[in-house]
Amino acid sequence: MSDALFWYGCNMTRHAEIIRLGQRMLAAVGVGASPIGGPGACCGSPKESTPRIAEGMANRTMERFGAWASGVRSAQGGAAEGGEHRSRESAADRGVRSAQGGAAEGGEHRSRESAAAPQAPPRVITWCPSCHMNLDDFMGRTKEKGFDHRHLCEALWEGREALAPLLRHPVRARFLVDRHIGFHAEVPVNDIIPALLALIPGAEHLDHPYRGGSYMCFGLANVPGALADHQRALLAALRETGADTLVTIFHSCHRELVGLEKNHGIRVVNWVHLLAEAMGWAYQDDYKAWRNAEDPLAAIGPERVAAAGEVAVKKLVLPELARPRPV
Amino acid sequence: MVAHPDWSALRAAETARMLAACTRCGRCAEVCPMLPYAEGAQGAPAPALVEGVLEVLAGGEGSAAARGWIAACTRSGACNAACPEAVNPRLMLRLAKWRANETGALPKRDAAEAMSRVKAFARLGFSATEQEEWL
Repeated sequence: MSDALFWYGCNMTRHAEIIRLGQRMLAAVGVGASPIGGPGACCGSPKESTPRIAEGMANRTMERFGAWASGVRSAQGGAAEGGEHRSRESAADRGVRSAQGGAAEGGEHRSRESAAAPQAPPRVITWCPSCHMNLDDFMGRTKEKGFDHRHLCEALWEGREALAPLLRHPVRARFLVDRHIGFHAEVPVNDIIPALLALIPGAEHLDHPYRGGSYMCFGLANVPGALADHQRALLAALRETGADTLVTIFHSCHRELVGLEKNHGIRVVNWVHLLAEAMGWAYQDDYKAWRNAEDPLAAIGPERVAAAGEVAVKKLVLPELARPRPV
Repeated sequence: MVAHPDWSALRAAETARMLAACTRCGRCAEVCPMLPYAEGAQGAPAPALVEGVLEVLAGGEGSAAARGWIAACTRSGACNAACPEAVNPRLMLRLAKWRANETGALPKRDAAEAMSRVKAFARLGFSATEQEEWL
């Protein structure tokens, strides 16, 4: 039984390689984490137009996580009993603040338990900001947690002394990070991600003050005109800074921004991809390849289409891959 | 010991707290990056927008401008940093949207295929073992 779960959420099923790379990176910094997500481990967010259904999904997830955490504690001999949070700043918060020379931007951070604390409780490592915020705002306020939670970037930042020596392969990229206003107050992603990528030899972070609305591109995609404006602002920031690479933080941003690669002369990668390249790890960004293919169905290939179900792929997958590009 | 027995109790407690704590100053609306995209909200006084949101939160219809703002909220949280009363306007707008979905003041987002799509992508991208272990 793993001491940690890597809760990737639901819409990350589009990006299997990021899940694999994330799990491998956690292992590289000493965190054994089992990926979990999809409809069976949902925070309820996709169904929140009907809160009763969202609550039912979230409760099932909490019960599943609770049973897992109980098993971990039993295996540890009850040493980590309780799992209550202490009012101490996390190592990640401290580290980034130190790296930034002061307080991280965007307001207050919630105090969380130190990773260095002895007999640490079982840990759920999050990826999706919707899941993370639902855990804070609803799930953890209505169900006993019995586990600690951290975002992936925080866990990697905590393990940066182990991570940094593994980043041996130079990556020639002058990159701009797609940063949003939201979620940063919960997890200082807008500081941690550039700080992690700054460990990569050859990569140059080009800062820019622009921050998009929402906390990831998914929200903007549902408001007419907002995603197009965001993409135009990012392209302007890329031109202004001379960046050649756009780095996405979250899955929905990656989903919405990889299409820019086709017509705008830039490269679009997720931050996990960039770290993997620096570690010399091969990966294939299938979603980007499919999204930018002239014929997405052919790009997926007949064997994979057959395995996934041709009717489902044509009804559910192809319309998304072939959707219009906002800019 | 959890703070609330279920989401309904949590929502009821938060709604009562917000209705009591909010002074309708309008700072949350003034700093909102999504207001330019809110249908019918351009030019509306910020305090009136907030008053409309609170009406929706309490189960009423609210103004068209307030409903437009609620619909355009993408949880940037810029409002939370600006709120002088620590009301948590981000959660206030989210709960108002849920209430509006329930009363019919705002249409529900169609998420009928969301999970089917998640599963279809999993079948495309995950190995058989990964599907068994990760889902």
